[in-house]
Amino acid sequence: MLFEFLCTSALLAGPAGPGLSNAPSKSEPRTVVLRADRLLLGDGTTIEQGALLVEDGRIRAYGKDVDVPEGAGLVTHTGWISAGLVALHAYAGAPEEMRDSTRPVLDGSIAWAFDPAHPDFADALAAGITTLVLTPQPSALSGGSSAVVKTARGRVLSREAQLSLGFSAAALSINRYPTSFASAVAELDQRFVRGDGAFGRAKSGDLPVLIEADSREDVLRATAFAKKHKLRGAIYGANWIGELAEQVGEARLAAIFGPFDVGEERRTVQSVLKVAKAGLPFGFGLDSPWKNPESLRLSVALCLREGLDRKQAWRALSSQAAELAGVSEHVGRIDKGVDADLVLWSGDPLDLKSRVEAVFVDGQRVYEAKKP
Amino acid sequence: MNLSFLALLLAAAQNVQQPKTQGDAPRKNWVISAERIYTAAGRSLEHGTVAVQGSKIGMVSSGSEDSGPESLACYAVTPGLVDASARISSGAASVEQSREETPELRVTDTLSPFDNAWDGQVASGVTSVLANAPDENVIGGLGAVLKTAGPPSIAARTVKADAVLRGAIGSQPSRRNHAAFGRPTDFYSRRPTTRMGVEWEWRRSFYEAAASRKEPARSFKGCAQVLAALEGKLTLNIQAWTTQDIRTAVFLKEELEQEPQLGGKPRLVIDAAAEAWKEPQLLVRSHAAVVLPPFPEDGRTEESAFMAWNSAAMLVELGVPIALSAHGNSSPAGNLGMQAGYAMQGGLDFDQALAAVTINPARMLGAEDRIGSIEVGKDADLVLWNGEPFQATSRVIGVIVDGALVLDPRTKD
Amino acid sequence: MWIPTGCLALLLSPGLVRTQDPPEKPQEPAKQETPAPAPAETGKSSSPAILIRAARVVVRPGEVLEQVSILVRDGKIIAVAKDLAAPKGAQVLETEVVCAGFLDPWSALCIDSGTARDTGTTPASRSIDGFDPWSPDSLRKEALRAGVTSVRIQAGATARTGGKGSVIRVAPQLTPEEAVVSSESCVSMNIGMSANAGGGQTIEFVDGQPTAVDTRGRPMDVFDRIADLDRVTSALEGGRSYRYSLVEHKHELEEWKKKITEKDAELEKDAKKAKKDREKEEKDAKDKGKPFEEKKYKEDKKPQPPRYDEDSAVMGRVADGELPFFVQAHRAAELRGLVEGTRGYDRLRLVIVGGSEARGSVAELAERGIPVLVWPALRGKGAGDEYDGGDLSLAGDLAREGVTVLLGSGGTDPAASRDLPLLAQIAIGHGLDRAKAFEALTIGAARLLDVSDRLGSVERGKDADLLLLDGDPLGAETRVQRVISAGRIVLNPED
Repeated sequence: MLFEFLCTSALLAGPAGPGLSNAPSKSEPRTVVLRADRLLLGDGTTIEQGALLVEDGRIRAYGKDVDVPEGAGLVTHTGWISAGLVALHAYAGAPEEMRDSTRPVLDGSIAWAFDPAHPDFADALAAGITTLVLTPQPSALSGGSSAVVKTARGRVLSREAQLSLGFSAAALSINRYPTSFASAVAELDQRFVRGDGAFGRAKSGDLPVLIEADSREDVLRATAFAKKHKLRGAIYGANWIGELAEQVGEARLAAIFGPFDVGEERRTVQSVLKVAKAGLPFGFGLDSPWKNPESLRLSVALCLREGLDRKQAWRALSSQAAELAGVSEHVGRIDKGVDADLVLWSGDPLDLKSRVEAVFVDGQRVYEAKKP
Repeated sequence: MNLSFLALLLAAAQNVQQPKTQGDAPRKNWVISAERIYTAAGRSLEHGTVAVQGSKIGMVSSGSEDSGPESLACYAVTPGLVDASARISSGAASVEQSREETPELRVTDTLSPFDNAWDGQVASGVTSVLANAPDENVIGGLGAVLKTAGPPSIAARTVKADAVLRGAIGSQPSRRNHAAFGRPTDFYSRRPTTRMGVEWEWRRSFYEAAASRKEPARSFKGCAQVLAALEGKLTLNIQAWTTQDIRTAVFLKEELEQEPQLGGKPRLVIDAAAEAWKEPQLLVRSHAAVVLPPFPEDGRTEESAFMAWNSAAMLVELGVPIALSAHGNSSPAGNLGMQAGYAMQGGLDFDQALAAVTINPARMLGAEDRIGSIEVGKDADLVLWNGEPFQATSRVIGVIVDGALVLDPRTKD
Repeated sequence: MWIPTGCLALLLSPGLVRTQDPPEKPQEPAKQETPAPAPAETGKSSSPAILIRAARVVVRPGEVLEQVSILVRDGKIIAVAKDLAAPKGAQVLETEVVCAGFLDPWSALCIDSGTARDTGTTPASRSIDGFDPWSPDSLRKEALRAGVTSVRIQAGATARTGGKGSVIRVAPQLTPEEAVVSSESCVSMNIGMSANAGGGQTIEFVDGQPTAVDTRGRPMDVFDRIADLDRVTSALEGGRSYRYSLVEHKHELEEWKKKITEKDAELEKDAKKAKKDREKEEKDAKDKGKPFEEKKYKEDKKPQPPRYDEDSAVMGRVADGELPFFVQAHRAAELRGLVEGTRGYDRLRLVIVGGSEARGSVAELAERGIPVLVWPALRGKGAGDEYDGGDLSLAGDLAREGVTVLLGSGGTDPAASRDLPLLAQIAIGHGLDRAKAFEALTIGAARLLDVSDRLGSVERGKDADLLLLDGDPLGAETRVQRVISAGRIVLNPED
């Protein structure tokens, strides 16, 4: 808590730290009106020649036009404005801190490994990502809980966002218990039956789970398990999960993909479409720093090329992702009362030819792209 | 599972069609006419017909019929082959190495319905298998009888769950363990490190399980399964390659029966009994059933056991129930059908060889009510051959599993 | 005819350096060549004519024609004009937009991975020998669906010394002749790639299973990189001096022939006297019991040609600008060294491949007209350290400073070629001018690889490699509807 407070004050007070070299040295006024050629809302619809009123870090009004209060700053942007992107599943900052394969079940929150000044977050910010879900690396049966953080100004939105459960072979080890899937499932079964701590919260439905899977068999095992213990949450990491959309739907789980890279197998991209067609919620992970933050939009571009609906694609990057992370009250869309985390794009963010021109987090301008 | 990849490559190279093992095989009331129908139920028919009704056998009769789109023709029909030791698992992830005895763990929790190995099994005519955890543990856990094709779900393909309690006697379970001396300790620094140790673990499990009937504090994880095996409710499936291991297995069974504190009535199936031919009387006296491993090319099997070509014939002559197995090999030279052929080379006649890959293993595994022979009311698991089965000149051209045409004989390769 | 050494430079132009004795290959112009056609097939495509009616045709970047038709026959574009009538039997297609098919100048598609990853290649190695006409269909179809119709394949793509690259067409339905556009289109080398940093792989037993384990523990050190740079410059030097030595030999030979004729004439004059002298010497020798030695003239010794060296021959062609020289280098110091080291070669056509830190030498590159082939890849942590200095705005920054920029998909992953248009869009998003990006994918790449007489734009006389689209090429929502390659329809909307 103290650490974060100090970080935030340092950011507001003077020249930005090493992670935010592009932040301007003075703060933005507390009330700002932003106008843009287009506002892109959380559900994928747009408002042409729209405006937003930001006050005290939150969006107070939006629409075709807004009342401009006294003393408000004015930002006119040629291009589009949208909510900042929400990337699920990242190891940004200190990836080695997020991996502990010494014990099968670890208690604790990844939030302790969050270093807001790390350049990984600045890279994500420059790609338009304002909210990141930091997750434990899948090297244990349960690596602890994930955390939702903002990529600028060091705010932690949630210290315990999801309970991580490992259903892939990475959760097993050849030299510590458990070494087999059967034992792993038996151990997790026991934990849920006992219901201590985070397992209890997940069992009662308060805490969603984040299931790490890899192959389709992992998905089958995970959906059977989730159904048995009535868990809710999402499965990450199984590229062909779309082929099991029915089972995933029955278990009331969502799918988190990717991110995809250039040359991604077509079967994987088609799996996303299958999930979308089945009406399952889905979003995209980032896997930074191993993957470049731009991969988020590339993943979506590959899906769009295959035929994904544009509105669904946008929701997967913003509002739906925020719901999956459990922070949709605060981020992921342009709406009254939501945090003013905004990205000013040169055009449609779903078009790879558009670039990030500026980013606001909590109503403050935290990034400005260099002019070419 | 690696052998299946080779089979797949071979199949691809030969442009052989891939079987439909993921629940996408067409279902109809198939009518198969053949010049030979080998039912493994006592009779063989010449120029007969087998009709499928839903997922079961509807009718077996003489005379041929041609009833339109559901009719299939071939030279010979046999029941779907049953491999009593198919070595189907997910490798390391199927074995819990943190303990040496894991009787309660089920291999079905770790199997994948999407594995390409199933395709290889079906292409060689095997419709049911006994799947077990790899023998890294003294007591590996519960094996299950599964169909090799069907819906993409292991549970839906299970014919008999918890069919056997699997374990091994020999050097394999102790291979990875080491003494703590000179090395940082990990959970592999434990007993057993020798054959004696393995045998000790077996006996200890049974004695502790027996004791736990009176003293619940001595119960352990998997105790219930060991007790069930002791009492004969769960078949014991023990791998023993060499003579000394087979003797150990037989003596263990006799000890379980004769010791008053145990008072057991175990049913024993010895798997991979390559050297059973050396002391056949031992097997006769033990009333154990034997599953023979695949015939090795140069006489020596795994564990340097020496397997004689006439092993099967010798044991059958003495009245020992035997089954043949292919250990998951689905290649043209090593698949289960060819094993039957090799056994015939060693002296078995055709009916005995057929029984050894169909009804015998079904009976050993307690699944003979559903699989193992072509009889009305049993599962419609059929293999269609283009010549006499088990000969190198014949091939599996069609396979039906639970009434679904998984491999279509009408498709031109 | 004796040629003064001062005119040696003139002789280095193609066609004049010929020798008779060593089996040297005749000089080939730096253009496409197709392998000899198989007896049953000719190079012509035998499909019917196609007439395309388009609302817009992007002839080349910046040149758009509205409401025109294109007539394609026998693999070529016969006409681009308004109101063309469809010949009898021709297939008529209607479309919104037509443009030239994209060419990926840095690709691993359609070449077997062993050839691409070969580290033992030399300049004489031919990538076309590794061309796999039957490589997996699905990847090639996906590339067509994305608009990529041809690629440059490269043997030894990451090797220190690569082979001769080749331009091929991607469509699986083409005959091997139609598929090969150019079997020798460039020579490639690599400097400072971490893939080449010492060691390789060995087999170790992990948990009882044999597994391939990387022994490349150490990153490339400075001396290795200097050695790589030296290898490049000495290869060029070797090529040039090989050519010089061939020319010198030619002169020596002619000198020698002249001297022979002179000497013959001289000896002819004194033939009788010489004959008497010789007989006397023979008799003397017999008397004294010594063996008779024929008089040796120094003109007897014929000048030997330099030993035939195909690698040097190829590098000679590179040094003379007959084949473009693709050198992959990323770090600023290596780029500077490369640019400096190639300064003495006026005709050399150097292409920098990769060039992550090329911003440091941008003025030089622009001045000398050295193009840079950029791979706008999305890299995260764990990529080789040679890429550290680069980012996605590299293409845009270089182009703005006047450097010719091309775009490629990296030459390591065959599936990546399919997504070259997406990489181009990313580069545009980070500052590359849209028209320049389109040029890089079409005529720019074709020019780079000396196939611009056949590919890269929609003009009469060029090969018919066309994309029929429903919107602007490189538009976010544009889809390729049909693809024509070598004059044949190779992709339809329903495929």
